[in-house]
Amino acid sequence: MSENAARRLVSMFQAISEAVEAEKDHLSELDGAIGDADHGTTMSLGFLAVKAELAKLDLDQAQISDVMATAAGAFLNAVGASTGPLYATAFRRAAQAVAGKAELDLATCAAIIDAMGSGMRERGKGQRGDKTMLDAWLPAADAAAAALAENKEADGFWRDVVASAEAGANATRSMIATKGRAARVRERSLGHVDPGAASSVVILRAMASSLNRAA
Amino acid sequence: MTSKTSSPRKGGASRSSATDMSDAIPLRYGDDPYVWACWLYYEDGMTQGEIADAMGVSRATVNSYLAEAREKGIVNISLEPARLASLTIAQELKRHFGLADCLVVPSDDNARPLIDRLGVAGAMALQKLVKSGDTLAVSWGRTVMSVGEHADVHALQDTTVVQATGGTTAAFSYTPELCAASIARAISARCVGITAPAIVKSPELRQMLLDEPLLQEQFVTLAQANRILFGISSLRPNSTIHTSGFFESVSLQHYLAAGAVGVVAGRFIDERGRPVAGPLDDRTVGISLDMLRRIGTRIAVAGGFDKVPALLAALRGGYVNVLITDAATGHGILRADGVTGLDTRISQRPKLAQTPSSYRTHVKKFLNNPNEVVEEMLDGVVRAHRDYIEPINGSHRALVAKSGPRPGKVGLVIGGGTGHEPCFLGYVGKGLADAVAVGNIFSSPPPDPIVQCAVAASGGEGVLFVYGNYAGDVMNFEMAAEIAEEKGIKVRTVLTTDDIASSPVEDREGRRGVAGNFFIFKIAGAACDRGLSLDACEAVTRKANLRTYTVGVALEPCSMPQTRRHNFEIGPDDMEIGMGIHGEPGVTRERIKPADEITDAIMDNIFKEMKASAGDRVAVLINSFGATPLMELYILYRRVAQRLAAKNIEIEANWIGHYCTSLDMVGASISILHLDQELTDLLHHPCETAFLRIN
Repeated sequence: MSENAARRLVSMFQAISEAVEAEKDHLSELDGAIGDADHGTTMSLGFLAVKAELAKLDLDQAQISDVMATAAGAFLNAVGASTGPLYATAFRRAAQAVAGKAELDLATCAAIIDAMGSGMRERGKGQRGDKTMLDAWLPAADAAAAALAENKEADGFWRDVVASAEAGANATRSMIATKGRAARVRERSLGHVDPGAASSVVILRAMASSLNRAA
Repeated sequence: MTSKTSSPRKGGASRSSATDMSDAIPLRYGDDPYVWACWLYYEDGMTQGEIADAMGVSRATVNSYLAEAREKGIVNISLEPARLASLTIAQELKRHFGLADCLVVPSDDNARPLIDRLGVAGAMALQKLVKSGDTLAVSWGRTVMSVGEHADVHALQDTTVVQATGGTTAAFSYTPELCAASIARAISARCVGITAPAIVKSPELRQMLLDEPLLQEQFVTLAQANRILFGISSLRPNSTIHTSGFFESVSLQHYLAAGAVGVVAGRFIDERGRPVAGPLDDRTVGISLDMLRRIGTRIAVAGGFDKVPALLAALRGGYVNVLITDAATGHGILRADGVTGLDTRISQRPKLAQTPSSYRTHVKKFLNNPNEVVEEMLDGVVRAHRDYIEPINGSHRALVAKSGPRPGKVGLVIGGGTGHEPCFLGYVGKGLADAVAVGNIFSSPPPDPIVQCAVAASGGEGVLFVYGNYAGDVMNFEMAAEIAEEKGIKVRTVLTTDDIASSPVEDREGRRGVAGNFFIFKIAGAACDRGLSLDACEAVTRKANLRTYTVGVALEPCSMPQTRRHNFEIGPDDMEIGMGIHGEPGVTRERIKPADEITDAIMDNIFKEMKASAGDRVAVLINSFGATPLMELYILYRRVAQRLAAKNIEIEANWIGHYCTSLDMVGASISILHLDQELTDLLHHPCETAFLRIN
């Protein structure tokens, strides 16, 4: 293997950052409809900070849980509001879930996605149907677990994960927000995709293409 | 609602006053008999004959005056906007979902509860749709019950009402049995029940019951139904489905996880209207979704924004072909299904031909770099108030009181987004808060500065976090509390929830924290400064929060420095009672009224919750949201004082001015702190901060 697991995880974060950068304006635009139009900027800031902080790690020594923990701290300090704690908690739970793991195999990937989803759910005290990023992450986690149980190859695993996240995010269009800023506009949130769910899809797609390619 | 009865109606008084001057056209009508005739007809409500007498002309002439007045455009007949909107929405719903019929109840400023208005509309639909000889299946729910209460259809023969599901003993007044009985009574129909529980213990038991001849007979009747009336239930956290006890909560969670968004006649459907499989399917006694879809006339009656996803699912699944809902919900359904362009059609026909050149899109502000407003403001704050506060480790995002924290004293940390100045940094100093964490505009600070504040404020006896109840603040302060605990600092938290308009009293914990923060911070700061224990500080702060009542009213929106645009809209003649300090929706949006009436509405709300008796003492805060001047605040205070005096409630202290703002929002809030001896002592405890000094 030319790359160790920590390096692969770092390149995954770089891929996420690039993808978020490319979708930045689109995400802010989605947010403008029901929030304060800063979601793209916020996510971009967060992942740029993660990238910068990861660059300081000694990747020959680092474990994948170190990478996740570093990402958590960096994201939190760069982003306030509610996105900061939600993703920071997600990364922190992922770090705990993969503690001691050396390989970034599909089981570990499924564990990361699951831990991220449940971390967000605990921190935000939300559930599916609240029109939040959980509507993308929780179906993605279910799909990952199912694909793993069916012994799917990496291609199939990631295709399922991304498809479930996309379907979940699209479903937010007909939901009414109860959490966060969008809750203030109540029924006006109808018909709009939740920006947090949309950025989750961007992140999961980037994870898929980065980790699947490197596998 | 406007009242037309205030003008003199036909009757002796108005007639005699008109006949007194029947010789000439009264001056106010100029020399235009058309206007005069129209006025008497449309405004005074006189008959054409009475007008003929008053004007001294023939009845035929009056008739021609009135007809010509319409042709000339002196009189315009217009449809009330709310009614126009509801018709437009109904037509669009019918077209978009291919419905047989659709009835949309106009929004009428919630003068009557939605459930009643839907009941009346449902009753009207029954009158029109149910014929002699019909078999009408009836499902259960609050709205269905309301239809039964409002319906009164005579002259039908040989109609049968059949219960669509089994029964329940649940402790609510709209069980399947009661709903079916009520509708049967209303349309004088024979009533056939389903004499089994709606949900039974096991699939085996269900099969055994279905094999019973009695139930078989009842199901034959159900299968004969040619019409069905049903409600649609949402699965959202606050919906009655969770509290009614109809379904077991464990099973509900299963359906939720499987993507269920609504319940139709006891069956779960997903957002596309597909049945969702789950543990209750084989244990439910009642109509199946397939059976339902085979019925010819499927009347759904349901309303409320919360139900939009469920209604949309039911429409997509084809379970409904006659929809009865309200305008806001109907509009929401269309929007959720991607129908656009409706808004322009709803907002009255004569559109402004052109935006006048003087039309503004941006608000003027004192700005350098819009992205640096918070930093530049904080630089100014730190320079202006160096006597009271200083940055922690050089960061302006965490500020500590100069002579606040000391060993042996519980530290008080407050904080939140900016845009509310002087909240929160204006209340940091000796005798009040020890440190403040500062976020971006309307946005919580991250945990790091909060932790820095906790460390700086800690005197070894623990730290109290007091901040407004908002999702972002809660998450960041909770994370900060976890980190501070890891550093060995004991943290307690009190969330402020004084905005009584933000949520009903049963959901007090879900309320937002607004200007009443001022009182709660003051009490907490005094308790800490007096050297009380962490427990005692927390307890008295909780008490202050429970006894603080705030209601705000917004007249104009605020605008964000980055966009310089209004971040929401309030109509030219409207106000919103109960609006939050970030523009959160309030209780009612209505036409603006005189200051005393607005104050009365607010005080009535406060008195409803504050159990103060004659002789009690209160503190009063009249707070500007930013752009409302002191002049108007004193007008509000005047009325508040009158109302309190009338109840013999004494004002111990008052504050009037900018205490918790929302950028440049026009509006104000009234906060009352219901004092007791302990709170009075703490309120008067000395403090030295930039915006509050008591000595």
